[in-house]
Amino acid sequence: MTQITAIKAFVRNTVLPALRQPVIRFMLGLSVLMAIGVAAALVVFIEGLHVTNLTDLVPWGLWISIDLSSIALAAGAFSISAIAYILRRKELIPVAKTAVYVGFVCYSIAMMMLLLDIGRPDRFWHGFVFWNIHSPLWEVTMCVGLYFTVLLMEVAPIIGHWEPVEQRFPRLSHRLGSLHALTPYLAVIGLCLSTLHQSSLGLTYGNLIARPIWSRPIPMALAFYISAIVGGIALVTCISLLAPHLTPRARINKAALDKLAYTVGWAVLFLLVVRWWDLMSMPVDYEPAKSEALYILTRGRLAFNFWGLEILLGMVVPAVLLLVGSFRRNERARILALAFVALGVVVYRWNTNLVGQLVVFGQVPGSDVPLFTDYTPSLIEILTATGVIAYGLLAVTFGVRYLNVIDHGEVVEAPAEAPVPAAMIPSSSR
Amino acid sequence: MSSIDRRDFLKLGLAATATAAVGVGMSRIPLPMAAVGAGLKSAPAGDTEPEIIRADEAAALPRADHDQPSPHHWAMVIDQGKCVGCDLCLAACHAYNDTPPNISWSRVEEVAPTADGRRVFRPTPCMHCEDAPCVEICPVGATYHRYDGLVMMDYDRCIGCRYCQLSCPYGVRHFNWEAFTGPNPDVPAAGHPEVPRRPRGVVEKCSFCVQRIDRGLAAGLTPGRDPDATPACVVACVYGARTFGDLNDPESMVSIALRQRPDAYRLREELGTGPRVYYLPATPTEVSES
Repeated sequence: MTQITAIKAFVRNTVLPALRQPVIRFMLGLSVLMAIGVAAALVVFIEGLHVTNLTDLVPWGLWISIDLSSIALAAGAFSISAIAYILRRKELIPVAKTAVYVGFVCYSIAMMMLLLDIGRPDRFWHGFVFWNIHSPLWEVTMCVGLYFTVLLMEVAPIIGHWEPVEQRFPRLSHRLGSLHALTPYLAVIGLCLSTLHQSSLGLTYGNLIARPIWSRPIPMALAFYISAIVGGIALVTCISLLAPHLTPRARINKAALDKLAYTVGWAVLFLLVVRWWDLMSMPVDYEPAKSEALYILTRGRLAFNFWGLEILLGMVVPAVLLLVGSFRRNERARILALAFVALGVVVYRWNTNLVGQLVVFGQVPGSDVPLFTDYTPSLIEILTATGVIAYGLLAVTFGVRYLNVIDHGEVVEAPAEAPVPAAMIPSSSR
Repeated sequence: MSSIDRRDFLKLGLAATATAAVGVGMSRIPLPMAAVGAGLKSAPAGDTEPEIIRADEAAALPRADHDQPSPHHWAMVIDQGKCVGCDLCLAACHAYNDTPPNISWSRVEEVAPTADGRRVFRPTPCMHCEDAPCVEICPVGATYHRYDGLVMMDYDRCIGCRYCQLSCPYGVRHFNWEAFTGPNPDVPAAGHPEVPRRPRGVVEKCSFCVQRIDRGLAAGLTPGRDPDATPACVVACVYGARTFGDLNDPESMVSIALRQRPDAYRLREELGTGPRVYYLPATPTEVSES
């Protein structure tokens, strides 16, 4: 009897008030989505990939797109670390901490998606043991594996400073914290590994001679690399700017973030040029499968994604919001613009992945008639993907709430030199 | 000289294939599978019993060493003038290689008809490209060139990433989306497939019946000439549309066919993949007839 009353009291005094907090409700909702995702993932593991809508003609779908997107959005980790530690922008060191945490979460999302997506998850380690050095995907596997280790070492001090760890395992906390000394070196390693695999992801598509629309090795590698950096920095800046509005635990250095946002504004314009050069400079004369794919992208079923979401919402609108004077003073517009940039990169990955598969060449009678294929993710694919994304949001929320990953108040001194925002573009400082 | 060889071969081929093809096609008559399977086991020539090489053992055979010239240059020549699109080759392939009902290692498609309105078909097996995109890009090297240049799958190594499916210009790679259990409706009741079934989650494709080639070579047979050493689809083709052999041997069926028909072509040659499957157009061009 006393136990029951104790439980009742606990519920009344602790659980119910907690449930009134929006953050707790948010995290609970995410946990439910995650649980559904785990159940769906179990179905996939037990039943096999035939529960997806993937086919031999469209073998890479929603999961690969999410995997590509999250790796791209994780690029903030290496780029901001590189700016902070290699270009020695000290005011960005605390932002790099946020970026590394977000990057870590993104890479874990990517690895979960990949584990689901491969036909033999029990053999995920084969890439590290059996090498085919000619394969861009092997290079990506190796680099992602190594870079995840780097991120783990960079995140370790953050975990070490988590209150429960500090109180219960002070020695462990100290050990983990001491890894912080390695951060500048890890920034260099991270820059190398990320440059390799972010561009190799583009090459993964770019070197497929079987798919003419993808078959542009250098432009694809470049576009993937640049868009990853832009999207990654945008996401980290966006989360950092947004956090103080939601929780008092987040402390930011607004001046530094605003500079980053301004940089993103220029970078997204540069990305627009690259994307335009990459896609629109193709010869216009008819080439089987390539012309059809270009049609799908610019006028067919991906046209809204391409013009509306990728070009307009993902590049033009943010560039205006981040660069034009009157909008620049509006913080809400700035946060929105940064979110659009990240969204644009996600849509870019989705479009790129799909466009090469929606039209297949050489599979049909006559061999010169391209075949149009179709793909819509199945419910189970969507549920698992939602679960994994919910995990990501939960992890970031947890990080902000308990790990103080957005605490940019540590370094308060303003940069000594005159604040010329454009000088922060990495290329100019070399 | 060469035309006699050819006629001889056709006779031999027809005699051997008629039985196999009819049996496989009707699929309830147990003759061909049993005959071929048992023939090698129970009727060895003298004391040299041929060793049966299974596909998983074939996977252990040496990978390509590019410093060493390949001892064989296997090629398949498909005469589109003879193919009637009956799918017997597919039936034989399903039965010998135990492919699931929803996977066909090679496919037969109808293409544009000839000028005089005859229907034309194009069987498409794995091209076993000399410069294969799939071999180049497989992240774990699960698909590789064998010592004789055939493109092989190592089903124990494949992680099922399906990148090779994207890379293949011919679309001949198939993923095992679900496990294949239970009896194979394409295998005759008294027959048995020659290779183990592939597990769920790996990519599989035509192997040019590498188990038959290796077993035949070990028994001193000539692939392309002796049915027991020749890919099942070639043996099963009643119309002699498919021929197989070694291009290094000037007297092999494929060498002769390619000499006689300079209009032979390969699929998507412009990509530079170097397919090992040649097609003879249904309507010979003027050059070859003159």
